[in-house]
Amino acid sequence: MRIHWIILIMFVLFLVEGTLMNWLVPIEWVHRVVPHFVFVFVLFSSLYAGRHVALLLGIVFGMLQDIVYYGHLLGVHSFTMGLCGYLIGLMLEFKRVPMLTAISVIGMGCLLLDTLTFMIYTVFKINSQPYVWALSHHILPSLFLQLLFALACYVPARRWFEQAFPRKSREESSEMPTIR
Amino acid sequence: MIQLFKFLRNKRLFLLLIGLILFVAVMGFSLSDRKDLSWPEKFVNDSVALLQSWLYKPAGYMAGLFEDIRTMRQLYEENEELRTTVARYARDRSTYNYLKSENETLKKYLHFTREQEQINNYKYVIAQVIAASPDVYNKTIKINLGSKHGIRKNMAVMTVAGLIGLVSEVSPITSTVMPITELNAQSIAGAKKISATVSGKESFGIIESYDSETGQLLMTRISEDDPLQEGDTVITSGLGSVFPQGIEVGKVISKQVGDYGLTYTAYIQPSANFDKLREVMVVQVPDFEYEELGE
Repeated sequence: MRIHWIILIMFVLFLVEGTLMNWLVPIEWVHRVVPHFVFVFVLFSSLYAGRHVALLLGIVFGMLQDIVYYGHLLGVHSFTMGLCGYLIGLMLEFKRVPMLTAISVIGMGCLLLDTLTFMIYTVFKINSQPYVWALSHHILPSLFLQLLFALACYVPARRWFEQAFPRKSREESSEMPTIR
Repeated sequence: MIQLFKFLRNKRLFLLLIGLILFVAVMGFSLSDRKDLSWPEKFVNDSVALLQSWLYKPAGYMAGLFEDIRTMRQLYEENEELRTTVARYARDRSTYNYLKSENETLKKYLHFTREQEQINNYKYVIAQVIAASPDVYNKTIKINLGSKHGIRKNMAVMTVAGLIGLVSEVSPITSTVMPITELNAQSIAGAKKISATVSGKESFGIIESYDSETGQLLMTRISEDDPLQEGDTVITSGLGSVFPQGIEVGKVISKQVGDYGLTYTAYIQPSANFDKLREVMVVQVPDFEYEELGE
C-alpha cells in the first residue's frame, strides 16, 4: 500500500463525513454524533508512520475541511488536527502497543481534538455554551462513533501504514530503540 | 551533544510557537468580514463539491426510501390534511387573483416607477444540497449553485417550511449557506441581523441570536406596545432591503422583558428543519444595478 492510496482513502472518508454520515445518523443525533474519520486516520498515521507524517496529514486534511465548510473561521481544524496528531505521535510513535492501548489512545486524541476545537470557538466568542454542555451534547456521543470506527479500521489501517512506511526507515527515524 | 539536543528541543518549541501565532493570525484574518473568496478556496470548493454531489444525493434517496416505508402509515392522514389545505388554497387563490389585479391598477394610477413595481418580484431558484458540515460550531450547508447562476452573498435561503439561512460564501458553481442557527449577536462572525415582523400585525423586531441549548431563536428590540403574542407566526419584514419579505421564520413560544427592561425579547421556535435537507430555494431579490450591468 503506497502513501498515495492512503491519502485517497482519507479523501474518500472526508467526503463521507459530510455527505453519507449525514444520512446514516438518525435526525435527532445529526449534530451530536459528529464523525472524525479522517482524524482517526491521522492518529493511526501518528502511531505507525511517525509524528511528522501525522502533522502533515492533519494540517492538509484539516485545511481541506476548513476551506470546504468555511463558515466563521479558517484554520481551526487544520491547527487542532495537526497538533493532536503530532502530540500523540510524540508520545507513542513506533512503539509496539497492544490494540486496546492504541484504540484508547485514539479515543484520547479525539477528546483532545474536540476540547481544543471547543476552546478555540469559545475564545473567538462563536460558542457561548459551557464545556459541560459540550461534553454531554456532542463530545462523548461522537467519541463512541470514533472508537467504533477505529476498532473497525484497526487491522487494515495498521497494515497499510506499516507497508507505506516500512520497518527499515522506522528504526532509523525512531529516537529510542524499542526492546523486543 | 547535550547542547545540540537542547538546541533541537528549543527549535521544536520555537516552531510550535511560530505555528500557533501563524494559525491565530489566519483565524483572526478569516473572522473579519471578507468580501470574496480567494481563487484557491474557490477551486478547492468547486472541485470537492463535484465529488460530494455524487455521494450526497444517492445517499439521500436511499435514506428516503427507508423513511418512506416507515412513514407509509401516516400517508393517509397526511393525504386528508393536504386535501383540506388544497381546498383552502383554491379559495385563497381566487381572492389573490382579484387583489393582485386591483393592486396593479392602483399602482398604475399612483405612477409607481419600474423599480418600485419590481421590488417584490422575487425569483426563487431551486438548489440541491451537496454536503453538510460535520462540525457542531459551524453547521454550514453547501449548495450546487454559484456566482455563475446569479447567486450572491447574503441572499436568503429557504425551504417550503421556512427560512433556512443566508448565503455566506460564493464560488463559481457552488456556494456556502450559513443557517440562522449560527446567528450570534456576541461574535463578529455571526453578527447578521434579520428584521422580522408578525404576519397580519404591525410589529417590529430583530432576530439576531440562536440558543443552541433550547433550539430557539431570539427576537429582540420589540417595543413595549407591540401586538406580538405567543403563538404568532414570525415572518421576515424585508426592511433591511437585503432580505426579501414574507418568509416564515417560526412561531413565538414566549415573550419576556429584555436585557435593559426597555424592550421585549421573544423566543421563536424555527419552523424549518435544518438537518438532512435535500433541496433549498435561494431567493433572488431584484437588483437593478446588476441587471443594468448585465444587459
